[in-house]
Amino acid sequence: MEATRTRGLRVPRGAPFVLPYLPFLIVFGIAPTIYALDLAFTNAGGGWVGFHNFVRAYDDFRFVPAFKHILIYTIVWLGALMVFVVGLALLLHGRATRVSATYRFLFYIPGALAGAAAVVIWLFMLDPTVSPGSFLLRHVLGASIFAQSIAPGNLPYIFAMIAFWTGAGGWIVVMYGALNTIPPDLEEAARIDGAGPFTIAFRLKLPLIRKWIAYMLILSFATGTQLFVEPEIVQHASFGLVPDTWSPNQLAYQQAFRYADFNVAAAIAVDLLLIGLLGAVLIVSRSGLFRAED
Amino acid sequence: MKVKRWWLVPASLVALAAAVAALVGASTGGASSGKVSGSIEVWVDAVRLPVAKLYAKTHPNVKVKIVTYDGDGNGATTMQTKIQLWNRTGKGWPDVVFTEQANDPVWMGQPPFDFAMNLKGVFPASLLTGWPAPSLAQCTVNGRLVCLQDNLAQEVLYVNKKLMAQFGYQVPTTWQQWAALGTKVAKEHPGYIIGTVGDSYGHWLYLWPDQCPISQVVAPKTVRINSANAHCTRMASLLDPLIANKSVSTVTIFSPDFAKTYGGDDDKVLLMPGPTWYAKDIFGGTLKIPAGQMTAAMPLRWNNEPPVTGQVGGGPWVVSKHTKSVAAAIDFVKFATTSLAVKSKPGALSPGYPSYGPAATVWLKNLNKDPYFAAPPGAAMKAAAGLVWKGWSMVTYPDQPIWSNSVVTQLIAGKSLSSLLPALGKGLSNNAKAAGYRVVNK
Repeated sequence: MEATRTRGLRVPRGAPFVLPYLPFLIVFGIAPTIYALDLAFTNAGGGWVGFHNFVRAYDDFRFVPAFKHILIYTIVWLGALMVFVVGLALLLHGRATRVSATYRFLFYIPGALAGAAAVVIWLFMLDPTVSPGSFLLRHVLGASIFAQSIAPGNLPYIFAMIAFWTGAGGWIVVMYGALNTIPPDLEEAARIDGAGPFTIAFRLKLPLIRKWIAYMLILSFATGTQLFVEPEIVQHASFGLVPDTWSPNQLAYQQAFRYADFNVAAAIAVDLLLIGLLGAVLIVSRSGLFRAED
Repeated sequence: MKVKRWWLVPASLVALAAAVAALVGASTGGASSGKVSGSIEVWVDAVRLPVAKLYAKTHPNVKVKIVTYDGDGNGATTMQTKIQLWNRTGKGWPDVVFTEQANDPVWMGQPPFDFAMNLKGVFPASLLTGWPAPSLAQCTVNGRLVCLQDNLAQEVLYVNKKLMAQFGYQVPTTWQQWAALGTKVAKEHPGYIIGTVGDSYGHWLYLWPDQCPISQVVAPKTVRINSANAHCTRMASLLDPLIANKSVSTVTIFSPDFAKTYGGDDDKVLLMPGPTWYAKDIFGGTLKIPAGQMTAAMPLRWNNEPPVTGQVGGGPWVVSKHTKSVAAAIDFVKFATTSLAVKSKPGALSPGYPSYGPAATVWLKNLNKDPYFAAPPGAAMKAAAGLVWKGWSMVTYPDQPIWSNSVVTQLIAGKSLSSLLPALGKGLSNNAKAAGYRVVNK
């Protein structure tokens, strides 16, 4: 009884914080979703067609390869985010303030570039004739020309690298902030009990920032499966060496604007939405993101 | 004698008129009247930008809004996306569009895009006779003339006269001689090349001139794609040893790698099958090959078979059927394609071989005078213009990306072209079907 009353009071109090965002959520989030759902289950004339558009989308020869690409990409990228973002944040948290502030700034800089600009920088980074890291391209990728750097097998890793480079800095800062919420006395108590820095990091700090990690994974999973800018720009820059339907989102774009088939495009968008939701539900239930007692 | 004289009078009058027109054209804007007014929006690629700017400058009565875009180069589908959106909103269409993609008018001229105006009856018929018949045929969709080619892009064989003389080689006239030379070059002068297959249009340079039927519209909405045909496989077999011995490169001519490896003062381009627009623009500009080395020779033929050649682009102008300023839009296209202010000499305003015959004659004369070339390249270009094989049709889907991502990527990875022909055929068939074509093999 007590709990319901306080909850009843909290909603209107939270409303002013939510309200300014609400119109944008409706116009740019909810309404397009409903529109996409409507398009996905109807034909060009507006008649109900059930799952026909989904079947047509699946039957397209580019559908399965696009999802395969994105599967490898998302695994590589999320793996890298988990290990390096959390690892670097833990390392930084153990450092003196000034050192860690400098590093946080350095990590964050690439994230300040807009997505497309970051990809353009990578076009140079990946071209062995101009890249400052050409020795790496030669030895790691075995590439002596740009076309070899972006060989089909390398692409998921390259796009994951670009995404990590632009996105990881922001998450390191977020994780660092999360680590700061851990009360210092907890850490001190652990130290008195004989825990070393390694034990403190993995047995104490890591479980306490679990929810932030889950939050990062949900958002990154959704943006990862919706990859568009990186393959699109590399496709143009390479004169078509990379297909223009490398990712499902690109395929949806092509279906809509090249084949004028907005219904199949919407079906692919709904597929992506479902995958994103499924990923979120899994992560939320596994990590206990919304569990109140923690 | 009298007859001859009678014939001479109008001839000299025409010549005089042409000279006056040329003079006037240079100052007021050529074949376009200059009296037209209105306001038009023109979408062009970077290469056509100077032409649009010149029109705006010389035609103060016409308000010209110029928008540059990627020109749909290398199989991009920018214009398709845009027209799709304009069609959905029911407004915003530009009045005139230039595209680098010779196949674009095919989809522009029919539903669901239905963007192009039928120029028959609108564009002066007297000028239309200046275009070669195959060019007009290429622009005709369902009996409607939906575009006018800005330039012809027939393939010739570029020759580095200086290097050929230095090495003591004969200019080949057949693909077989060319291949034999490639084998010789790889042994005697490794590092020098006789062509590249790495461009997004490599199949147009090598498979088109061998009459490989992988883009042949045989009935409405039916395309023949047979990459296993002997006309495809024999060319692949000819190329494979040359790709392996590196006398034929797999890198695109537009990459910094290519310019660095093969261009510059000590350039390594011995021969190069390429379209007419390569000329000074690519060899002098992009690759920085010094003057006095390059010229053009007749396109290569297969043994003693009749000579045919390929084509790389030949971008067209398209007028929107939605335009409110028909007169100004037509005037603009007239200016861009026929006026001597634009088309008289090779350069920034007219890098490619003009498709309008009378302009081409003047253009070639000036091209032949250009000291950049080691010998006048005009004759070969003119002869090649009529040799483009007509069995390669324009289709609604771009085939360049398919060549790039199913063949070039794998050639770079070390596979042979012969082993990739099935993948090319499959890629083309898939795309043709996705674009609504019925695909036949035989």
